[in-house]
Amino acid sequence: MMYDYFSSIVTGITAKLEQDPQGIHARKRYALAVATLGRRLYSGDARIAWCGVTAPFDLLNSMGVTSCFVEFVGAMLASTETAELFMQGAEDAGYAADSCAYHRAVTGAMLKSAMPVPDFIIGTSSPCTAGLAVMENMAKQYNRDLFVVNVPQSESPDAVRFLARQIEEMAGFVGDHTGQALSRNRLGEALELTNEATVLIKEIYGLAKQKPSPVDSRFLNNFGVVITLFMGTREGVDICRGFRDELRHRVATNAMDASQERIRLMWVQNRIQFPFPLESMLAEYGAKIVVDELNDVTWEPMDPDNPFESIARRILSIPFSRNADARVTHLQTLAREYQIDGAINPCHWGCRQGTGLRGIISNGLKEIGVPVLNLEIDCVDSRNLAEGQIHTRFEAFTEMIQG
Amino acid sequence: MKDKILGFTCAYAPVPIIEAAGFQAFRVLPQGECPDQAGQLLHDNLCPHVKRVLDRALDNDLPEVSAMVFVNSCDSMRRVADAWQVARPKDQVMVLDLPSTNTPSSIDFLATEYDRMARTLFTWNNQAFSREKVRARIKVWNDLSHTLGRLETKMGEAFYPGLAAAVQIVVNTAATDSVDAALAMAKAAVAKAWAPARGHAPVFLFGNLLFDPKVFDLFENWNMHVTRLDFCTGSRFVSTVDLSLADDPFVALARSYMTGPPCARTMDITRPGNLAQEIVERAGASNARAVMGFTLKFCDPYLARIPGIRQALQDAGIPFLMLEGDCTMGDIGQQQTRIEAFTEMLGV
Ligand code: SF4
Ligand code: SF4
Repeated sequence: MMYDYFSSIVTGITAKLEQDPQGIHARKRYALAVATLGRRLYSGDARIAWCGVTAPFDLLNSMGVTSCFVEFVGAMLASTETAELFMQGAEDAGYAADSCAYHRAVTGAMLKSAMPVPDFIIGTSSPCTAGLAVMENMAKQYNRDLFVVNVPQSESPDAVRFLARQIEEMAGFVGDHTGQALSRNRLGEALELTNEATVLIKEIYGLAKQKPSPVDSRFLNNFGVVITLFMGTREGVDICRGFRDELRHRVATNAMDASQERIRLMWVQNRIQFPFPLESMLAEYGAKIVVDELNDVTWEPMDPDNPFESIARRILSIPFSRNADARVTHLQTLAREYQIDGAINPCHWGCRQGTGLRGIISNGLKEIGVPVLNLEIDCVDSRNLAEGQIHTRFEAFTEMIQG
Repeated sequence: MKDKILGFTCAYAPVPIIEAAGFQAFRVLPQGECPDQAGQLLHDNLCPHVKRVLDRALDNDLPEVSAMVFVNSCDSMRRVADAWQVARPKDQVMVLDLPSTNTPSSIDFLATEYDRMARTLFTWNNQAFSREKVRARIKVWNDLSHTLGRLETKMGEAFYPGLAAAVQIVVNTAATDSVDAALAMAKAAVAKAWAPARGHAPVFLFGNLLFDPKVFDLFENWNMHVTRLDFCTGSRFVSTVDLSLADDPFVALARSYMTGPPCARTMDITRPGNLAQEIVERAGASNARAVMGFTLKFCDPYLARIPGIRQALQDAGIPFLMLEGDCTMGDIGQQQTRIEAFTEMLGV
């Protein structure tokens, strides 16, 4: 099912791009890369690893492993409106209906044999330990070896050393399972590509900060999280260049419509993954998402001569790996840099890690004069969605911002 | 002079370190009648353990706690550590980084974390850092652990009315008052002549938190012989530290804590899902005929493992009853019919 789905997207987008080979089409090229990755995962002939969200994908790419975080599948199932079937399956098998729906959907897919069987599994304790339980269950179900990257919460020298040691051990684990040891040269090249892409990503975010912003609410939707899958590859650099070029083009041609952004918004944590008319709803009120919390570069350039420590520092710098103070400070910085008027926190039901900070995030943003709309919504499970209520709350929120 | 009180919330915070630094260790248990307000800082979908702990902080329903050690054992625990600092900004707070796996590198790191914890606590209490003091308190702790072990063995051998509650009172004393006092109580309990009784169904209990001794008396009233209290607030809390494992007490602590009976948040990656098999084995070793699990609502680490545990028990032919709720007696009271039906079904 998923293989056919991804294949049809690849075919469809490829045909469209062929009609205008000179065009930039950043989002289409990005969607094509994502669908191609999805197709590879489900092809049955790639060496694959299911991973946690903060796994070092550049390192894995340098070792020839097709790797992906499992929440990607949860999001894909939601976007194709098939997640419900799998979540129901997981609940029927005794998995708690109150857990994160990304994980419930993936668990259901695993139970119904709708996930490709991995060669091995790499869990990460950041962003959430909830995800680790899923990885452990998966290792048991598929009878596959499991490696876990424990991400400490501090950036102390001991913490950096511990994480760096684990990354190196992880490379050994991967090598043992692929039969090919890590090549320091190839890893160095991959990290150079990560750096190249990161420079472009910073440029993208720099352009997005402009007022009016050349992005629309959808343009960088899920970008910061998903682009990590392509780090360490030429494809990743090309995707980023496409986004940068498109934004430059929009700025140069004055393509941004200031009237569409009377209200500049920040989106906290993950977007809603099932079909939902978010952008049009916001546009009705002249509001636009100009920044997502997860769209930021929080790390220094990778040092190919010191790869494990570099990667460790990058993982530790991600706000989700850190405490509430760090996360709130990061949100405040984004709010100022993007000159936002308000923030929306979807409070994804079942996410203790993210939603657990609802009150602290609201207070932190209010401190700098940024109002927050806390939506009580499940970003993957649409079964209890009250669309009308969300509409009303958007309306009230935007009215309040406009005074 | 009375010792200053240091609060903690997780069984992976070693009480011997806290006591060695001259503090009275006080586990902030999720109990009491304070108003439900934690959701204002956190969210209502967090487990009742962390919410109630925060409620107590917000309501000042605590003895004179001026310092806290949190362990980032799960997502919810990380959040309560954050919220505590907002609720009680004057408290000294440290967060101990606890790896999820028991690999050698994880154990090495945890040893450095325990070392850091000790140095921090000695400094907070204006005392000179001393490994020897830590080692000495570990010896007392081990004495308690062995004495409790004798009581737990007894629990499995026959049904002694009131013994489960007595064991829980000892554990609670170690968690909230003093290990010395708990040891004295445990020794008295060992010396006591317990009269066995018949006609109760032997059931192994496991889960995250169940610590009100009255609950176990209730279970006995409902025809249950509790053979083991395999909870983070029960036998897993007072686990032995094998000092022969290393010269450094922090390495010994880390190795013992990470390789002892695991709670759901700690994994042995060489045997994924092994918690289920361990429960089967521990239930068998305690002579139980059945297993009852008790897990707090919204507790991801446990809830995600329950289907695997259910399967393993089914494969082993061991009847299983799973209860999910909050930490209150009222909640347990509502389960009376189910628990009675369960023990009746065991047909003792
Ligand atoms: S939404 Fe929260 S619980 Fe779910 S995968 Fe993301 S961080 Fe983990
Ligand atoms: S392990 Fe479970 S009960 Fe304990 S704090 Fe975490 S979520 Fe709550």
